[in-house]
Amino acid sequence: MPFRVTLPEPWANRGWQVKIRDRERLEPPHVTILRRTRAWRVDLRSGKFLDKEPDPTEVPKEVVHEVRSNLQRLRQEWDRMFPENPVLSREAGDE
Amino acid sequence: MSEPLLLVEPRGHASRAFARLQVERLRSQSEIRDALERHRRQALWVAPHAPAVRLLLAALAGRSKGDQRLLSLEPANGARHGLLHAIFRFVVSADEGIRLLPTDQLALVLGSPNREDLFVGGAVAPDDATVILYGGSLEPLLVPLAWFRVRRGGPRPDPSRLTIADFGQTIRLGDYEAATDAILYEFDDAYRRRTKKRQIARDRSFGGALRRLRVQKGLRRTDFPGVTAKEVARIERGEVKKPHPSTLAALAKCLGVPAEKVATY
Repeated sequence: MPFRVTLPEPWANRGWQVKIRDRERLEPPHVTILRRTRAWRVDLRSGKFLDKEPDPTEVPKEVVHEVRSNLQRLRQEWDRMFPENPVLSREAGDE
Repeated sequence: MSEPLLLVEPRGHASRAFARLQVERLRSQSEIRDALERHRRQALWVAPHAPAVRLLLAALAGRSKGDQRLLSLEPANGARHGLLHAIFRFVVSADEGIRLLPTDQLALVLGSPNREDLFVGGAVAPDDATVILYGGSLEPLLVPLAWFRVRRGGPRPDPSRLTIADFGQTIRLGDYEAATDAILYEFDDAYRRRTKKRQIARDRSFGGALRRLRVQKGLRRTDFPGVTAKEVARIERGEVKKPHPSTLAALAKCLGVPAEKVATY
């Protein structure tokens, strides 16, 4: 079951979604903003958009605000869902 | 660049779901044959209902097929199924266990400039433990069921409940959701090349690629016989720019990809 950020109206009603699915590209840890055929990945380490396409400025600032204000919670969820690649990872071989 | 999109819509059978789709509409046998001549190299045909399939077959039966692809929203069983496969290189239709996107979403995906990055349908071959997914260009992509890993405390993928959701951006197996992006990134070289160009900032080093691939495969640095965790870490940090060929071969073997592909992740 994916983890979803509940977006306030009117954004949810307009088809905006924010979620971490059960199987994602694992590196870097991220959350995905989806609307119709488009998706924007936000880096959970920096809170910044990972891709220049689609244009991040197309995401309403209220939706971006919702993601960034939930960043701590999203990081915790990511770590719970994907403990093999936590947001702040330290592994064997790290000095 | 996506192939031309051709909608077969016999007179009197306009499809409401595709009304807003910017597409070449073909209403008669002669228009269909003209379109085949113009797009002999490659085209994606859409038949939204049975009259469209009948018109298409009447117009194209016996014609050379080239790289023509058909999305039929009408199930085509028996002899008709065989006929369609004789004409088209790929046929995706609402039969043989294939689950398609809901029609309203399908219309948007087909009209989308990034339709090759989205899935329009899929099926599960349980005996072969494989999920067959069809992208917006209708080419099949085979994903082992085992790839849909169960995460601790998460839902178990249920292959009997496959659906394509979120306008082709999510594959659902019951309550389990997998990102289309993750599937294509792992199984489609061309998708990886496209996504690389879109990224704002990225560690483009060999070490960065190795780390992304290793993590995606669920491996730890200690999982590479013959290569120490410390050495893997040094390569990932960029302290070793070009690993020795034997080290690279050992890494690639465990990662399950050819050595020359590691850097593409």
